[in-house]
Amino acid sequence: MIRFRGVSKWFGPLQVLKDVDLDVAAGEVLVVCGPSGSGKSTLIRCINRLEPIQQGEIAVDGMALHDPATDLAKLRAEVGMVFQQFNLYPHMTVLRNITLAPLKVRKQSPAEAERIGRDLLDKVGIPEKADQYPARLSGGQQQRVAIARALAMQPKIMLFDEPTSALDPEMINEVLDVMVALAKEGMTMIVVTHEMGFARKVAHRIIFMDEGRIVEEAPPETFFAAPKEERTRTFLSKILAH
Amino acid sequence: MNFAVVWRNLPYLLQGLGVTLQTAALVILGGTVFGVALGVVRTSRIPLLRQVAIAYIEAIRGTPLLVVLFVVYFGLPPIIGYKFTAYQASVIGFILFIGAYIVEDYRSGLASVPRGQIEAGLASGLTVGQVLCCITLPQAIRRMIPTLFNQFVRLLKFTSVASVIGVTELTGAALAVNAREFQPIEIILTLAVSYFVVCYALSLVGRWLNTRYAIQT
Repeated sequence: MIRFRGVSKWFGPLQVLKDVDLDVAAGEVLVVCGPSGSGKSTLIRCINRLEPIQQGEIAVDGMALHDPATDLAKLRAEVGMVFQQFNLYPHMTVLRNITLAPLKVRKQSPAEAERIGRDLLDKVGIPEKADQYPARLSGGQQQRVAIARALAMQPKIMLFDEPTSALDPEMINEVLDVMVALAKEGMTMIVVTHEMGFARKVAHRIIFMDEGRIVEEAPPETFFAAPKEERTRTFLSKILAH
Repeated sequence: MNFAVVWRNLPYLLQGLGVTLQTAALVILGGTVFGVALGVVRTSRIPLLRQVAIAYIEAIRGTPLLVVLFVVYFGLPPIIGYKFTAYQASVIGFILFIGAYIVEDYRSGLASVPRGQIEAGLASGLTVGQVLCCITLPQAIRRMIPTLFNQFVRLLKFTSVASVIGVTELTGAALAVNAREFQPIEIILTLAVSYFVVCYALSLVGRWLNTRYAIQT
């Protein structure tokens, strides 16, 4: 589904991704963790080309990202993304936030887009907020709207860039519950997060990144119980301390 | 002070006020459209277009309003072969002038839209044009309301400059009356108060619009 081969990326003189190889299968839930600046956010932002790469190849659902002939809008329609800062459109109601892309990109009829939108709002647990503006919602509710908005395009892949990092602790669970349900439905998900409980529950594989490289890659049981690398052990001891 | 001179000449002065308001309305509309269009060019991804816009903006900002009017009224006709009336020249000149200022307000309005929302739009498959139309511009324009109305009030005051090229707007009318009646105190006072009333009303409209259409955050 997603394939990285020899991917390197620089921000000016700073190399943030160093010769990364990665394979993600359809239906797989991959958790990416690592210290700040390790390149994990950059990694997933390369998947929908929000960040371009300078070296290597990325293929998403058979489409070659680095190829100028690829229809980028078409590719992005198949890859949903949820951001740390929610990034909802404040001048539109919740429902309109959700139906905007399906109307404009998938050219759905307004009636169908609204029906799908309301179903998704119901699925994330806040159907009554459809006609509210984002400012009226709590952080957890806003992030759930953001998830619904990404799902409205019926993507094949969902990317999550630290979706709960900007939330108050009480609201983290309501968002994680939605993500767990999504994982159980078989969605291909790549999640950058520090929430190791979530990783333990639904991840098929966990990747630890440091300084632009994938240092360790393992299923949750092995990753937490017997990490191979010293760097991984140090990181885990720090974040699992509380 | 004897304001009879004002009452005597009221129809003529009101006619002048009508020209002022008409000019202002045309220029507010035309100037905003021109300023936003110029803003789109100014922020284009094509370097040549950006440079043309920058050159125009710097040229206008370095030129006094009156000189811009002179260029349009006296300087353009020999080049393009069409002679504007003083009124037409003033409207065109004002639009060309105010557009170069509105452009900067437009750029700051655009910049005020968080980059994250643009990324969210692009990530969902919207084209750059769709993101601009649906996400960026609606917010940028609403955020621009206070500064735009600042420009509009300035413009209303600037219309008095058109009197120099012979347009009989409010100032022109007042000066003409004074030339005939020679009662400068009453006439100039009336002139000043009239501008104040109109400008204040305009700024109140701006304040109301801002409250009504403000984006909740």
